[in-house]
Amino acid sequence: MEKTKTKAMPNCPTGHIHPISSLIREANQIFSKMGFTFAEGPLIEDEWHNFDALNVPKDHPARDMQDTFFIKDEEGMVLRTHTSNVQIRYMEEQIKKGNQPPYRIIVPGKVFRNEATDMTHEAEFFQLEGLAVGEDVSLANLKGTLARFFKELFSAKGGSASGEKDINVEIRFRPSFFPFTEPSVEVDMRVVGENAPEKLRDRWIEMMGAGMVHPNVLKNAGVDAGKYQGFAFGMGLDRLAMLRWGIDDVRLMHSADLRFVNQF
Amino acid sequence: MKISREWLQTYFDTPLPSAEEIGHALTFHAFEIESVESVKPQDGHGAGNDILDVKVTPNRGHDCLSYRGIAKEVSAILNISLKDDVGLRKSHMEPRTNVVSVHIENPELCARYVAGYIKGVKVGPSPKWLVDRLAAMGQHSINNVVDATNYVMFNIGQPLHAFDAGKLKENNGYSIVVRTAKNGEKIVALDEKEFALKDSMLIIVDGNSDEPIGIAGVKGGMPAGISEATKDIIIESANFNGISVRKTAQALKLRTDASQRFEQQISPELAGYGMRAAAELINEFAGGELVGFVDEYPAPQQKKTVSVSLEKINKVLGTQLTQTDIEDAFTRLGAPPRWQGSTLTLEVPFERLDLNPPAGGPEDLVEEVGRIVGYDKVPAVELPPFEGEVEINANFCAAEHAREELVAKGYSEVVTSVFADKGERVVANKVDGVKPYLRATLTDGLKEAFDRNNRNKDLLGLDEIRLFEIGTIWKGGKEVILLGTIDKRGAKEIALKTETAVAYNDLATSHTDRYQPFSKYPAIVRDIALWVPTGTSADEVESVLVHHAGDLLVKHWKFDEFAKGDKISYAFRLVFQSFDRTLFDGDANERMESIYTAINEKSWEVR
Repeated sequence: MEKTKTKAMPNCPTGHIHPISSLIREANQIFSKMGFTFAEGPLIEDEWHNFDALNVPKDHPARDMQDTFFIKDEEGMVLRTHTSNVQIRYMEEQIKKGNQPPYRIIVPGKVFRNEATDMTHEAEFFQLEGLAVGEDVSLANLKGTLARFFKELFSAKGGSASGEKDINVEIRFRPSFFPFTEPSVEVDMRVVGENAPEKLRDRWIEMMGAGMVHPNVLKNAGVDAGKYQGFAFGMGLDRLAMLRWGIDDVRLMHSADLRFVNQF
Repeated sequence: MKISREWLQTYFDTPLPSAEEIGHALTFHAFEIESVESVKPQDGHGAGNDILDVKVTPNRGHDCLSYRGIAKEVSAILNISLKDDVGLRKSHMEPRTNVVSVHIENPELCARYVAGYIKGVKVGPSPKWLVDRLAAMGQHSINNVVDATNYVMFNIGQPLHAFDAGKLKENNGYSIVVRTAKNGEKIVALDEKEFALKDSMLIIVDGNSDEPIGIAGVKGGMPAGISEATKDIIIESANFNGISVRKTAQALKLRTDASQRFEQQISPELAGYGMRAAAELINEFAGGELVGFVDEYPAPQQKKTVSVSLEKINKVLGTQLTQTDIEDAFTRLGAPPRWQGSTLTLEVPFERLDLNPPAGGPEDLVEEVGRIVGYDKVPAVELPPFEGEVEINANFCAAEHAREELVAKGYSEVVTSVFADKGERVVANKVDGVKPYLRATLTDGLKEAFDRNNRNKDLLGLDEIRLFEIGTIWKGGKEVILLGTIDKRGAKEIALKTETAVAYNDLATSHTDRYQPFSKYPAIVRDIALWVPTGTSADEVESVLVHHAGDLLVKHWKFDEFAKGDKISYAFRLVFQSFDRTLFDGDANERMESIYTAINEKSWEVR
């Protein structure tokens, strides 16, 4: 195991932001340049926005007791299981305001899964949702958008212009299934080039699930699915942070331990 | 599903490529592969085998929890033709018999029930190849009749069951009834366990005695189980409602190979093929006379067609595929399309319940083209510049502003759990049962975090612990985001005020390259103050201290410095910690002794 480097104490110590906050800040910097609005939504959500509108049928196993936290004595209310509820909320709101697509949003936020915790599983964790809807937003655009995001993320050094390293990122899709997208894909990423971080270089890494928004999802939000199409993705921010900084235990994120936080 | 390469080969004349190549093909065009296991021949002779564990996605459970389904995929992806449609040669249910009658009381839960009556079978061991194939699936051989039904299930995906007709009551022939159970009704299953049934569960009963003989689609019952003494059998090849089977299997905690397949909903057409295949195999292994079939199929599955245009496919995928590329993909999938202009129409193979117009017909076909052609053919194209306006998120602006202000004042950001031991709203079904409430304050979590961090103050090199959290709480029926802070003067929380801005500030993000794991063991602190001659820098002193303090020194800093005459006094704090154990005073003392020795040698003077 590597040892903590001996460091002298600075005279006037400033505090540190949480690595997830740093990552969200950075993601927003990259995505807002690509035209994406930072959107948000509630953590306690109704089943319509969390499941039905997303084309997850009533009897889908994901709606079973073991995966979803249900709120006691509040019929049909759950702790959201993904940030995808905001896809529906955002599009509904735009349609209500009379704004037709194009839409581009990212939704960083906390999500919940009712499962036992260990080094790689947490009951509460963070996701980054992305949604782009327009007349001809395609699966090719999903590939291009994610390639650009990861390239900037892994090239950047602290968000400043100084010391940026030139790297390349390749994106690979594998077929998958999600009720809210079709085609659905698993997204793998590979950082290549001399300046790639050594521990990541040339290795395919599974990053997220994504796909083309299912027409039922657009319809359910009131968007004309005959005219518009789009992509959506949802990646785990905890996992991305773990990968980026070599963090070995997801539970550190919620540990509130400064031996962890103050390293960032 | 486990797929044996040897078994899969029975679908092809051409020798299949290696298991790795098959795995690669499936991974990039159909399903994830959980593992590939290589099996040595049992007696050390003959050919070995490979077992691929294929993770069939929920939308393809209709057809791909079977060798036939996987073979069709492999054929399409690798473009190698199937032998002929093995396993599906006949489906007409002739001859008919009236020795057995079938009555479905709940047709909404049972779309089809085929019974086959075979007289005079000789129950015994199965042939070696069958025993081996079932072993590859992790199944023990039971007898030639039961093995035949299991073989057909894995081979084409239709679960079957065999009843001992001799154990059923006869009254002008046999009677099979499919009905929901009565509350409190009981059945002893083939595993000799007794199950209490509920009126939501579908069961099979002996119509002449009204005794339950099977839990529909889940497991058969002891009362009509096949034994060495069995002579006459009734084979069941039925189609049960997926949701009903799933709920029953879940409630009884009895998930079987059969229930897993019904849960995904399979085509009722398959029941006919399944019956034919099983009857033939049983006849081959156990002899007997096939008396005939009964087929209750009130509403046969209708043929479906589905259409999509070339333009739509290319528009969704962002590709420039030609009519030929697309025609090739569908032909390989066994569904050659008809073109009308640039729009294609194809007849959906009966088992592909996932290709489902109008729910998502065209998109279903786009996906088929995408995965068969390969997603590597989809180029990476950046979005064009956004025509709309990027809205600035007021809550995020406020949070970012608060972060900057607090970090400058020495506060570090933490994230604590939303689960608490008190609050206004409660989770009904928390797995671990601990802290089921949703917090109504950030303060409790912050206090706990403050106390824990306070113990590590020296290790952190901090005079004081200062924390903040920007987090959601639930209070007064509302979900709100609060900003909480804590330091030695106490905890505070305020509502996060929204801030309107025209653009985001370009704030700094973490410069850290790699996270360094920290020791979970307690630290020991030692202070040292010493006189050195004027002109001796703090750095020089520090390097001597660090050098002689050894590996256990994890943190140190100078906390005092003053000059007196021709001497300077420096004071340092040293923090020792081990990765493997709790340190004792002796460990620190030993390190300090070697520091004192070094200082003496330098003719410096410890104060």
